[in-house]
Amino acid sequence: MVDIKKIQAERTKLFDDVNDSIIPKRVPVNIFLGIEPTAQYAGIDLAEAQWNPGMLEDAGDKICQTVFSDSIPFMPYMRSPALYTPLKAQSFVMGSNGFMQHPEVMGMEADEYDYLIEKPYDCLIEKVIPRHYKAVNSQEPFNTMLSFAKGLLGKNDSLMAGAGIMMKLVAKYGYRQMGLNGGGAEAPFDFIADQLRGFTGISMDIRRCPEKLQDACEAVYPIVKKMGTPLIVDDYSSVMYPLHMPTFMREKDFAKYWWPSFLKLCEDHASAGIRTSVFCEDNWMRYLDYLQDLPSNTQLTFEYGDPKIIKEKLGNKHIISGLYPISYLKNKSKQECIDLAKEYIDILAPGGKYIFALDKVPLVLDDFNMENLCAVTETVRDYGVYSNPGEQVGTVFKKEDYQAQSCRSIDSKYYQSFEQRQLENPKASGTELQKLQQLEEQLFAFVANLLM
Amino acid sequence: MLKIQEVKTLVETGKAKKIQAIVQEALDAGCPAQEILNAMIDSMGVVGDKFSAGEIFVPEMLIAAKSMAKGVEILKPVMSGDTSSSLGTCIIGTVAGDLHDIGKNLVSMMIESAGFDLVDLGVDVPAQRFVDAVNENKNVVLVACSGLLTTTMPALKEAVQTIKAALPEMKVIVGGAPVTPDYAAEIGADGYAPDAGSAGVKAKELVN
Repeated sequence: MVDIKKIQAERTKLFDDVNDSIIPKRVPVNIFLGIEPTAQYAGIDLAEAQWNPGMLEDAGDKICQTVFSDSIPFMPYMRSPALYTPLKAQSFVMGSNGFMQHPEVMGMEADEYDYLIEKPYDCLIEKVIPRHYKAVNSQEPFNTMLSFAKGLLGKNDSLMAGAGIMMKLVAKYGYRQMGLNGGGAEAPFDFIADQLRGFTGISMDIRRCPEKLQDACEAVYPIVKKMGTPLIVDDYSSVMYPLHMPTFMREKDFAKYWWPSFLKLCEDHASAGIRTSVFCEDNWMRYLDYLQDLPSNTQLTFEYGDPKIIKEKLGNKHIISGLYPISYLKNKSKQECIDLAKEYIDILAPGGKYIFALDKVPLVLDDFNMENLCAVTETVRDYGVYSNPGEQVGTVFKKEDYQAQSCRSIDSKYYQSFEQRQLENPKASGTELQKLQQLEEQLFAFVANLLM
Repeated sequence: MLKIQEVKTLVETGKAKKIQAIVQEALDAGCPAQEILNAMIDSMGVVGDKFSAGEIFVPEMLIAAKSMAKGVEILKPVMSGDTSSSLGTCIIGTVAGDLHDIGKNLVSMMIESAGFDLVDLGVDVPAQRFVDAVNENKNVVLVACSGLLTTTMPALKEAVQTIKAALPEMKVIVGGAPVTPDYAAEIGADGYAPDAGSAGVKAKELVN
């Protein structure tokens, strides 16, 4: 009889070893398909599935039976219409084909930088959210209140449905254990670009008002830091950042305006024992030296780049992932796909600190050939076996190597810290204060979710 | 001549605040408006090439285009009614099912800076809407279709084929992250540009 618990422990250890700078038994495989290709694979109507993620359970199971991966290969995470529709979202909209899309919306005007710098959280609540969510309207307070509540309930409902499916599949097939030790956020500059000023707006601001942009990165810093902090901090807690803007900028601007607040953020989290994981969107070859400065064992998932140079420059300090081109799975023969997987393992696996992943998450089933994907992940499982498991390699992540730096607090009439609440309610019990703080934090997380 | 050179430099370096005065000075010094406009178009060609070569990035390209737009504001009253200065009208839009417009907007800017008049249909544009727009506007010489998502590649194909079926002589250029030259050729497009910088150059090539 197959011992699923044992399989799960082995798979979890593969990732833990990589994170601990230890050569694992074999290269861990981290592949996942989102709801779109999964729904297509099972012949389920996508728009229906977006509204009712529970109907994807069998489809997800089918993916688990088909694709080998050490982490769960089906990720029912979604931008749920149950959240975005009641709030009349402008920046996350379902297209006519059932896909949730992220059109550019400018949440903050250029002349509002001063307010953002002075009262960042107030600015997000008062200016940015109403522009992104038309149901949040100060002229319609009662409808706003109800829409906000519907969005929150809708989000929680979808999240629970998706998490329920994942937990079942993880337990059934013995995938790497998952917990609440992961967070997600954006670099301060990217946060301003993505949700506040838009791609074009921020590209102009770099020239028009660079100092204000720099100050704004500092202003939103405590907010994005809090957004990313995981609910549970343990030995393998991490924050994931998709890195958007750097490749659209010249290096001089990147070094001055983009990088400093991000590096500080990663080091601050590292000082609390929280690791960094980044997805380097586009081609980061001209920024490899900067990445070298991130806390040890940062997981760097690359979209494009030269695996050999990346390994040489960063492989001793950091964990490398990504790079395997999904286009190969679509356009090449099965043998060519297998050969490339072996080539990548030969380059990236020596010395450990390598997790196999594709260069990007497939958007639709037509992005790849399923047979080729299966052949590749099975090849990695069988070919990527180490002869020296257990050996210590490269630098090790230690929180003691990093020091938290000072930053301003979230000073806003829309957010109350535990200490503020305690001062205002000196007679309240500890339990009462903690419960109220828990609700405060849940609302902060919801607001953050609206802006990510 | 010196003033024209100065105009070119101001466009290339994106000095939007200074350019209007210099364009006016060039006009006052007797430089023909068409010559000044051509100089600015040439400069944007240089900017596009530098962008494609990775020598400059989006902010530099944006401020250059903004600078040119400011300069054109001064030229417009002088050139009003002179249609010979335009390369024709370009209809542009993101295809049906796709709501993304960052790339399309950058391409619009570069095509306009190359000397075209532009009609922007926005995002999620049904194939027939491109054809209707050609018929509704004067002197249309080019249609540009954009698509960011792999999911909307079929819509890109449908757009090109619908335009070509209704207007066989119309030139169609396509672009977007998942689009390749092979795919552009396969769906019957006349041209493809890998980035905004080269879109203006390719657009001119197609209509000349």
